[in-house]
This record gives sequence, structure tokens and C-alpha cells, in this order.
Amino acid sequence: MISFPKQVDREKRLHQAIAFWIARIISYSILLILFLILFFILKRGIGVINWEFLTAMPIDGMTKGGILPAIVGTLYLVLMSMIIAFPVGVLSGIYVNEYAKEGAIKQFVKMMTNNLAGVPSIVFGLFGMALFVNRLGFGASILAGSLTLALLALPLIIRTTEESLKAVDDTFRHASYALGASKLRTIRKVVLPIAFPNIITGLILGIGRVSGETAPILFTVAAYFLPKLPQSLFDQAMALPYHLYVISTSGTNIQASRPIAYGTAVILILIVLGMNLLANFVRSHYSRKVKMK
Amino acid sequence: MIMKNSLLFTALCLLGYACGGPGSSATKSITVKGSDTVLPVAQKTAESFMAANPGVSITVVGGGSGTGLTALMDGNTDIAMSSRDLKADEKLKLQDKQIEFEIKTLAVDALAVIVHPSNPVQRLTREQLEGIFTGSITNWKDLGGEDAPIVVYSRENSSGTYEFFKEHVMDKKNYASSVLNMPATGAIVQSISQTTGAIGYIGFAYMTPEVKPLEVSYDQGQTFVGPSMESAKDKSYPISRPLYYLYDVKNAEKVAAYMDYVLSAEGQQIVEQVGYIPLSK
Amino acid sequence: MKRLVERSAEGLIKACGFASALTVLLIVFFLFKEGISFLNSSPVEDHHALFVHSGNPVTQLEEGQIKDLFDKKINHWKQLTDYGHPVVLLTANDLERLFTPEQLGNNLEYLSACVAHYIDTVPGTLAYFSERQLSLSPAIRIVPVPNISLWKFLSGRQWFPTAQPAAMMGTLPLILGTLLVSLLAILIALPLGLAAAIYLAEIADPRMRNILKPVIELLSGIPSVVYGFFGLVVIVPFIQNLFGLPVGETALAGSLLLAIMALPTIITVSEDAIRTCPIAVKEASLALGASHWQTIFRVILPYASSGITAAAILGIGRAVGETMAVLMVTGNAALMPTSLTQPVRTIPATIAAELGEASFGGLHFKALFALGCLLFLITLATNLLVERTTSKSRKS
Repeated sequence: MISFPKQVDREKRLHQAIAFWIARIISYSILLILFLILFFILKRGIGVINWEFLTAMPIDGMTKGGILPAIVGTLYLVLMSMIIAFPVGVLSGIYVNEYAKEGAIKQFVKMMTNNLAGVPSIVFGLFGMALFVNRLGFGASILAGSLTLALLALPLIIRTTEESLKAVDDTFRHASYALGASKLRTIRKVVLPIAFPNIITGLILGIGRVSGETAPILFTVAAYFLPKLPQSLFDQAMALPYHLYVISTSGTNIQASRPIAYGTAVILILIVLGMNLLANFVRSHYSRKVKMK
Repeated sequence: MIMKNSLLFTALCLLGYACGGPGSSATKSITVKGSDTVLPVAQKTAESFMAANPGVSITVVGGGSGTGLTALMDGNTDIAMSSRDLKADEKLKLQDKQIEFEIKTLAVDALAVIVHPSNPVQRLTREQLEGIFTGSITNWKDLGGEDAPIVVYSRENSSGTYEFFKEHVMDKKNYASSVLNMPATGAIVQSISQTTGAIGYIGFAYMTPEVKPLEVSYDQGQTFVGPSMESAKDKSYPISRPLYYLYDVKNAEKVAAYMDYVLSAEGQQIVEQVGYIPLSK
Repeated sequence: MKRLVERSAEGLIKACGFASALTVLLIVFFLFKEGISFLNSSPVEDHHALFVHSGNPVTQLEEGQIKDLFDKKINHWKQLTDYGHPVVLLTANDLERLFTPEQLGNNLEYLSACVAHYIDTVPGTLAYFSERQLSLSPAIRIVPVPNISLWKFLSGRQWFPTAQPAAMMGTLPLILGTLLVSLLAILIALPLGLAAAIYLAEIADPRMRNILKPVIELLSGIPSVVYGFFGLVVIVPFIQNLFGLPVGETALAGSLLLAIMALPTIITVSEDAIRTCPIAVKEASLALGASHWQTIFRVILPYASSGITAAAILGIGRAVGETMAVLMVTGNAALMPTSLTQPVRTIPATIAAELGEASFGGLHFKALFALGCLLFLITLATNLLVERTTSKSRKS
């Protein structure tokens, strides 16, 4: 039996204690910094938010009034981009996980969607401008902006769909096949219902992502000021992130519009965090349900 | 089942959304697009014009002079705002497309050269400004100030303001590479107000007490004039430029009421409120 | 009938899968179509040219030389070639000063004659005119300007995309600026993020971990424009005061902001990597008498190294493509970066700031698309790198 001298043992413990404390301190300082950022903005912005701020049009060169058109614009963009991206993304996820055979094609599709996830958002903006705005002639419009945002959200939805389908135990599939169900029927009646809550998580995360993006909508949809809410898919729209960008950097009276900028930032943060929280809730709620079964 | 419901729901949304479109044609709608410098004027005049004419709706979109002119050529906007003259390739394109434009000056913008309020320097000649922005003068002590490096702020290289300053202040010479480019004028004001050695130029409308305007001389230092509404109106302040509205002559009738309003006494009053110099009669 | 429905449904699924996969190719196609056409075009504006006296022996002028000539840094032809005359510039703006309206004619029909006469009498003239306005005569000739090559685009040190008469499209300062800001951001974020990941995976109470991890994940969702806004109002003045700098918009400010933004991603990904270390390996190390810390440092971290590398590369990829936050805090001066306390200009910020004002389909517009291609290639490379490191770890 070899035993370390006490000296070494103590040294070892001391090292460990120091290292652990450093890790602990760093972790908490990171959290602290992130919270300080949130707090800094919330403190200045939360007081601005009231019913009028949410439901009024901007007035007086956007230094007073509300941000209704930006909220509605973001809502339209999120809705439209999800209408496009969600079905396509889910079907693609089903293809990758259920239909594609292992091998070159599956590898190719996976590689492509992975790479799509890594494309910087400004590149999506460039592409959207070249294809939707100019080539297809949509002009800067909700349609062009939503299509661009849909592409951005696509890999996220594909990946969550794929992961949630993968999580469905194969015994379910085999049982369904044994009962004589076809592959499509099995997917529709057995696999999808089980995977559905997780797929929805992807949708919610996609909404969070899409509502906060500025670069892709810069040249495809964003408007500085609209007198009315957008009326059709071919109208331009205001949007929360772009609104925050313009009122914090342009406009002739920056100081006067600062409160609006902070208020807009708070709304944006609340939407994005709210969506993430919702996704977490759906995920944990569902996993608990499965355990109970 | 869930799937079906959600599909139905989205389909309904889509339908309701699409149907919203045609109803809008009852009101007249005008789009104004382009230069970020002209934006505040366009936005405020649009606001009050619509208050007086409930039947009209005016959309104001920024994006820059280039965006506005392109949109005008493609018929995507009724009025283009511009803070610069047409570029050669834009003129050629117009010729090729056989579009005839009306160019109207709606206001004059005086460019103020600004520094941090604590800077002791009060006045500069055009030649000194040229030296600063082309990078041959880099320290405030050469200009009678403290021994501190000069931090130069400018607008983005594609903006009309950048071009104008280059042409009329810098004798068409290029900016030094070390110049900081800010995406918008507001950002320049913000940065100069928190940087002691900074210098930059902004539209007079953006003046705030947090920054100090300099007097400039265009006659080798004989007379210095500071930017103000008066000096710009009587044209004694040398750095000022026109701001334009452009529209297709085919659309003249559609935009006439709004154009008249902007150029009317009332419209020009708004121009002055926003901080630009109204057109002298 | 049922068969048919099923067939078409399956067809739809397959079509969607392929459509999604092909989106990347579509992006590549459109991006590169605009971007590539930029190469091999002339830096001089369409239908415009530089004219000199036919006796002037200059064979060609590079963009840099043209800029120096028009900036009046080159005053004498001797500096360029064997020609003993001082440089005199002549552009359309000088016409009014030099000629009377009668001389030029109502529709500038005598412009060619006037300019030709002027150049003939002032042999050092360098004139910049539209080829449509100016017809050639024996006294004058056009100086060729070499086209923009890929090499010049990548290695040029000056970014003056709107310079007249010849645009300078050197992207080296932009490329280096982008890499500097993102690499420094990861250098700051990686050790901190790794420490936090170790804490979460190994040290923290599981209950604590269950609270902290979702919170950190939440923070990765804050929009970049919010971070940019915060950076502009807080980090920029902070950096300026801390180091007593003349200016706060620096590479450092951008890196710091990007580091904060990258932290959640790095923490999440490396924590996942650390937790893949099998219990058996850990227990073996502990059983040999190693302390928990020694086990983490000597056993778990090496085991998770490829996952951590992937986290770092992923972080760099994100940082490289980040647009709005960087645009708002780095000052955007297209300088060759030499220090951290200097303003820099990144590729995404350049695209976002300039595209709106560039005239559509023009040289500048195409150059920005070429920058987009460059950005795409950089992120593609980092993505492939991530894939390789993670697949390698899976195999081992």
C-alpha cells in the first residue's frame, strides 16, 4: 500500500480548492455581466413601456408616441416566415431522419443544412436582396423579408425535427409496421404525435431567432416610418430590431429618442427571452409527461 | 390532429392576410424613399400632411440615396430623396430607360464641423480641414489646441454627405484611411460627445449642446463664420448643400399635392423646425 | 387512390428535403454570380476614361497611382515615367472655369475640341471624361487602367470603393480586421467559457446546474442589435476611459462585445463535450489517487478537447459573421490593423453600411457581393473544420 505523504495531499487539496474557486468566480462573473447588461437596459426601458407605447403610432419624428407598427411588422414577419419555414423544415427533417438512406445522399443533405446554419445573417440579407427583391421582383416587401428570414430559420427547424424524430424509440415504428400500417401512416399517426412537442420547441426557438434579426431585413423589408400598418404582402414593414437600430443611430434628436430606444430594446428582449422560456417549458413539461407514463 | 388544426389555422391566417390587400386602394398612397439625411424632413412633413389630408397615406423609407434612386428607376417608389447629385452611371441608366425625372430642391442642409465641447479650438480654415480629413494634420497642437491626437469621424463612404464634404471641403481629395466611418449621423454625435480629441461633420439639424460647432473660413482665414440658421440663410456660411426630391414626370399629378405642401410656407416651416434651412423665396 | 395520396405525400417530403439542401447552392449561385462578375471589370466608372497628351509615354495607370494623382500627392509625371511636365488635372467640374459657354456650345457639342485643344497646349494634362462626351483626336489618347484582379482584391491595402476616377477595392484591411476582432473575441471568451463549463459540468450542484444552464442558454438569444446598443453606450466609453485612449471605438471594444455574445454558445457546447466523458474513465482516474481537479485537468479536458475545439471554431464562425453589434462599436476605419486600440472595419459591417447607398448593379454593389462571397467562404471553412473535429472525436 503506497500512501502519499500528507504534505502532497494537502497541496493537492489546496490546488483543487483554488482551481474550483476560480472556476466558480468566473462562472458567476459571466452571469453577473450578462445580467448587468439585461438590468442596464431593463432599468432604463421598463418605465417607458405602457399601453400607449405598445399601441400608438410613433409621432414627432419618432421621439414620442409608441412603436405599434414595429411590433406589428415583426409579428407579420415572424408569422409569414414561419408559415414558410415550418412545413418545409419539418418535412425536410422527416426526410432526413425517416426516408434518406444512410450514405452519400443523406450525408450530402445533412452537410448542406449544417452549412446553411453557419451562413452569416448578412449573407442571407445579400441573397434575399439579389433573389427575392430584385430577380423575382418582389421589391422590398414583407414577402421578400419573410422568405429571407424563413431561410435563416430553416436549418434550426430541420435540426430540431430531426433530433426529436431520432428520439422516438424504434419499437413504436416496429409495432406500427407489425399492425400493417404503411411507412407514411406510421410517421403520421405514431412517430409525429410523439415527436410533436419537441418539434414545436424548434418552431418557438425559430420565432425567437427570427424576431431578433436585423441584418437579413435591412435590405429586404425594413422601413423607417410607415403611417399605417402594412396592408399586403408587398408592403414594406417596420420591425423591432431595425427600429432599435435606426432610432439609436439616426434621427436628428438622439437624446430625445433614447427612451424609445430603451423601450424597444426591452420589448425585443422580452419577446426573445419569452420564446426561449416557452420552448424550455414545453420541453420540460413534455419530458415529465413521458416519465409519468 | 394537432397537425391538421395548425395547418388549417395557418391557412386561415394566410387567407385573411391576403384579403387585406385590395382594400387599401381606396386611399391614395405615396412612397418616399432614399437618403437618410432627408428622412427627418420627409417623416415630419408626411406626418402633418396626412393629418390635414386623411385620404392620403405616405410611407417613408430610408436606406440611402442610392436605394432611393434605384427604386425610382424601377418604379418601386414615387419620390426619391437624395442628398447628392446623380452619379454618372445613374444618369446613363436613366437615359437608357428613357425616364424623365423632375428634381426639386426642398431644403438646404448646412454641414457643421463639430468637436468636443472641451476643445479650445474655435475656428479652422478650409485648408486646415482638408489637412485633417486627408490625414496630413494629425495633432491638435498644430491647430492651436492641446497636444492630443485628432480623432476624425466621418459618414460611411457611400453616403451623400461623405461625397459632398469631399468635394466641397477637401478639394476632391480622398479621406485618410484612419478616418472612422460611422453608419449614421446620430452615431457621430454620440461618439464625438464622448471623445475629447474628436472632430467630425454633421448636418446642422443634428446639432446638440453635447458637441461644439467650429467657425470655418473659406478665404484663407480672413473671415470665419459659424453655422447657424441665419448664416446659412444669408449664404455667408460656406458649407451648405441642397437636398432633393426626385420623381418621374409621369407621376407628377400623383405627388403634386404633397410636393406643393413641402414647398409651401407651412412645409418650409417644418423644414426649419427639423433643423434644415428653408428655401429662400 | 390512397396509394396515390401516399405517393405524392412521400414525394413532397423528398422534394422538401432536397429543396432545403439545395438552398445553400442557391445562395452560392446568386452570391457568386454578382460577386464574380466584379472581378476583371474596370475600376473606372462605365464609359469613362482617363485622357492624356499623345506625347505622354505613360503606358498604364494603377488605381493607387490614379488616387495619388488626383489627391495631388503626385505632382509631376517624372515621378511615374519619363515625361518632363507637371501634372494638371482636368475634369468636367473645371470646364466652366476654363471655357465660356459659347466655346463649349449649347449641348457641349464643341467639348471634344475644347478639351483636345487644352491638352495640346498643356502637355501635362490628365483629363477624366465620359467617352461619350469626348471623341478621340490625334492630340489625345486614353491611358489604359488594368482591370481588378482577384489578387488585387485580396491583397490591396486600400478600401476606397467610391473613389473617383478609379475605385480602390483592396480588402486586405477588412479581412484582417474581421479575423483580428473575432480571434481576439474567442481568445477572451474561450478560457472564461471553459471555466464556466467546467464549473457547470463538474463542480456545481446538479440543482444549481439545472437553473444555470437554461439561464445561460436564454442569454444566447438576446438580439445582436441590443448588444450593439449596449456596446455603444457602455463598452465604448468604458474602454476609452480605462486605457486613456483618444478614441473608444476600437478593435478591443468589438472583441469584448463579441466575446460576451459568444460566451453562451461556448459554454453550452463545451459543457456538453465535457459531460460526454464516460464515468468509468473518471472513476479510474480518481481510483488512482488523483484529486477531482487533477482528473478534470488531466483526464476529462483532454478527453473533451475535440468538442471544446469545435466550440471555439463555432464561436469564431459566429463572430466572423456578426454584423450589427460590430458595426456599432468598432469605428469602421478601413486601416490595416496594427494594434488593438485602433478602429477596425469588418466585412459584415462594410456590407451592411454601404449596400444601401451603392448604386444598384454598379461596381461598388458588385464589390460588396464579392465581400459577401468572401465571408461565406470563411464561414464555410470554419463549418467544415467543426464537422471534421467533431466527426474525428466520434470515431475515436
